[in-house]
Amino acid sequence: MAAVLGISALYHDAAAALIVDGEVVAAIQEERFTRIKHDPSLPVRATRWCLAQAGIGPDDLDHVVFYEKPLRKFERILHHTVAAFPRGIRGFPRTMRVWLGDKLWTRTLLARELRIPADRILFSEHHLSHAASALLCSPHRDAAVLTIDGVGEHATTALWRGSAAAPFIEPVAEIPFPHSLGLFYSAMTAYLGFAVNEGEYKVMGMAAYGQPRYRDRIDRLLRRDGRGGYELDLDYFCFHWHPDRSYTDKLVDLLGPPRFPGTPFVPEGVDPDAPADLVADSQRYADIAASVQAALEDAVVDLARYARQRIDAPALCLAGGVALNSVANHRLAGEGIFDHLWIQPAAGDAGGALGAALWAWHCVLGHDRGPGLVRYDLGRDFDRPGTAELLGDLQLPFEDVLEDASESGLAERVAEDLAEGRVIGWFDGRCEYGPRALGHRSILADPRSAAMKDRVNARIKYRERFRPFAPSILDAQLDEWVELAPAARDPARYMLATPTVRADRRQQAAAVVHVDGSSRVQAVRAEDHPRYHAVISAFAARTGVPMVLNTSFNLKGDPMVSSPAQAVATFLGTDLDALYVDGFRVGRSKR
Amino acid sequence: MGIIRRTWIRLAGAWAWRRPNGPVRLMAAFSQAERGSSYDVIAALERTERRDLRRTYLFHALDESRHARIFRRRVQALGRQDRAEAALVDAGSLRATGIIGEAPLFEQMGELEFLAFVYVVESLALEQFQVYCDHGMPDPDTIAALRAIADDEKFHISYSRRELEKYRAAGRGAEVRAALFRVRARRIWQAWLRLSRRLGDAVSTLWLWALYLVCVAPFRPLARVEGGGWRTRDADPRPIAEFARAQA
Repeated sequence: MAAVLGISALYHDAAAALIVDGEVVAAIQEERFTRIKHDPSLPVRATRWCLAQAGIGPDDLDHVVFYEKPLRKFERILHHTVAAFPRGIRGFPRTMRVWLGDKLWTRTLLARELRIPADRILFSEHHLSHAASALLCSPHRDAAVLTIDGVGEHATTALWRGSAAAPFIEPVAEIPFPHSLGLFYSAMTAYLGFAVNEGEYKVMGMAAYGQPRYRDRIDRLLRRDGRGGYELDLDYFCFHWHPDRSYTDKLVDLLGPPRFPGTPFVPEGVDPDAPADLVADSQRYADIAASVQAALEDAVVDLARYARQRIDAPALCLAGGVALNSVANHRLAGEGIFDHLWIQPAAGDAGGALGAALWAWHCVLGHDRGPGLVRYDLGRDFDRPGTAELLGDLQLPFEDVLEDASESGLAERVAEDLAEGRVIGWFDGRCEYGPRALGHRSILADPRSAAMKDRVNARIKYRERFRPFAPSILDAQLDEWVELAPAARDPARYMLATPTVRADRRQQAAAVVHVDGSSRVQAVRAEDHPRYHAVISAFAARTGVPMVLNTSFNLKGDPMVSSPAQAVATFLGTDLDALYVDGFRVGRSKR
Repeated sequence: MGIIRRTWIRLAGAWAWRRPNGPVRLMAAFSQAERGSSYDVIAALERTERRDLRRTYLFHALDESRHARIFRRRVQALGRQDRAEAALVDAGSLRATGIIGEAPLFEQMGELEFLAFVYVVESLALEQFQVYCDHGMPDPDTIAALRAIADDEKFHISYSRRELEKYRAAGRGAEVRAALFRVRARRIWQAWLRLSRRLGDAVSTLWLWALYLVCVAPFRPLARVEGGGWRTRDADPRPIAEFARAQA
């Protein structure tokens, strides 16, 4: 037996991923254990769980692979601290404390906390880990691989050549820090009043309410060089030297006052009773968001064209935080630059753990490529007897639908609940690896009525009214409902593409069609998730609509639920109508 | 002891409520603390061998989660300041303030000490809220929120006290006393750690500023920020095994 553990940590979205004899047996983010969203700490609990899942101990690990090279990263930070003199003085103490306290001693830290000999620890590179997570999980052998995120060691964007034989991944080109598409988008996220590393999805949702009226000004911030690359005007940004801010007053002079967090967002045409100044402000922010999104999309398309010039391959594999921008992904797929687009569901830093492990397995240890990632539910599951005991102890009314009515009966019962307008918590099997709920830790609802969107936003998720919901739709009927670019078929499996819903279908799925007619679909195949596929099929048979509204099973600010107890607590703390936990239907009881 | 503690709460509270942005920072801190408690109580629910306590823990966790939302709404009503809002979602601060530790409290403490912890902490929180309200420190809406939350705290105090009494009645009074002592001692120790950490941060900041001015400044002319655009990159010349072992 050979086993390799990948680790991403100490920045954000810490995770562990375990490969045993070439198979990815477990992968999970640390936040699923600690309940701290985007938890950056060393994934000790995630690691323990991965090892237990495989039935092995730390001594059985051949290697532990950290997803980046810490000393190279430290060098970059020092370099920019010096370059920013004297402005860098603000952030210098905090940076030094973090690095001298923990990050510089990553090897020692890993060895001590994970209880493995230090000589078994390997270090990948940040973007190499991303590239490996995309290419080596994909079905493609020869491919261009683009990795785009905030920053790794020095690079913020990197192009790799993927091949069928060793060394599998070779570097081609990169764009250096501080010129970063990810940090550009994050800075604009902060300007628009959302938390960095958390609110980027909200900017994407907000953009649909606006027109790119500020495009000329945004183009001053993010300059495309006409050769496939881009550059930031650093007079407008300070993320490379300021500890708390990411943009300068010059950007405020250019675009106007930033949006305060928590300010209601009421653009034109949404609420006729809203104060005129609030509507005007909201519309301005929507237009800025639309301009930022358009600029990002154009830059990503440029990068892909450059990739195609340098690498003659039919497929593009994409990874890094920017690859989670599903609107940009669909635009890219629609450009026809590549025949296939592949994005691994945990495209952000959590996926770096999986990439690091795969890189070591194939590129360092020399094992041949396998079939790629065959499942995305790589996280924790719980045994049904334990769940039944828990529900009994909690004195909650529950019935074992799976036992009483079999798989098809369960699907029928869920479909009945949904068709009658109930919103349900859906907890099924192992949890997903990555940020998306793909039918294992989901809140499900009837997508047919626009009022359902408002209900789920306001009374269940406690989040902003403008934010859209996504549907899980039967893959076989996808093309009847959306105008999906052919290259986006794989990303759509993981809710990573946002096509336009066909005009004649929008009224039938009003809760999951965004204001611009788009929808971030998840195409569900029976082979990916048979039980979930059966539920949607049963709903389709009842209603004629082959999809359900699917949003992550959590409250605002929390990570997705991980255990049945967390699911129950979230269920009882919200306006959910019913909860399904591994085939048990749970109701409410009075206190 | 009670008078001294109430006086201390009053003095510290007067400063905390009146400092710049004080109400928002307090509400944000309370919201985080309640979130952390909710996680810890759910962890207790999952790990306890006292199956009869699971339902009680569940409703306790739901209370904490609801309180977190109430405090969060107060943050938004009182301030909208970006830093306070950011504090609510800042994972680092949840760790740095010790609200969520390396392992759930129940794992660190076990059943009896966890119940002692609930009793001590909830009693202190109730007293703190009462002092704030009695002396009119917060605004009326916040006082109403604190009073509503205080009612829930009474339930948490009563069930944890009842359970500790059961342990005492079962002849484990010495264990209960020891657990209460450890909980109180740990709180004092953690307060000292927080204070010393702040002092350490302040001192190290001064030293690091000096270091920056003296040692970094001379190298400034050598450091430049690269332009953007693509740069061709070659493969690392080292053998792959050597490359993989290197941290740089």
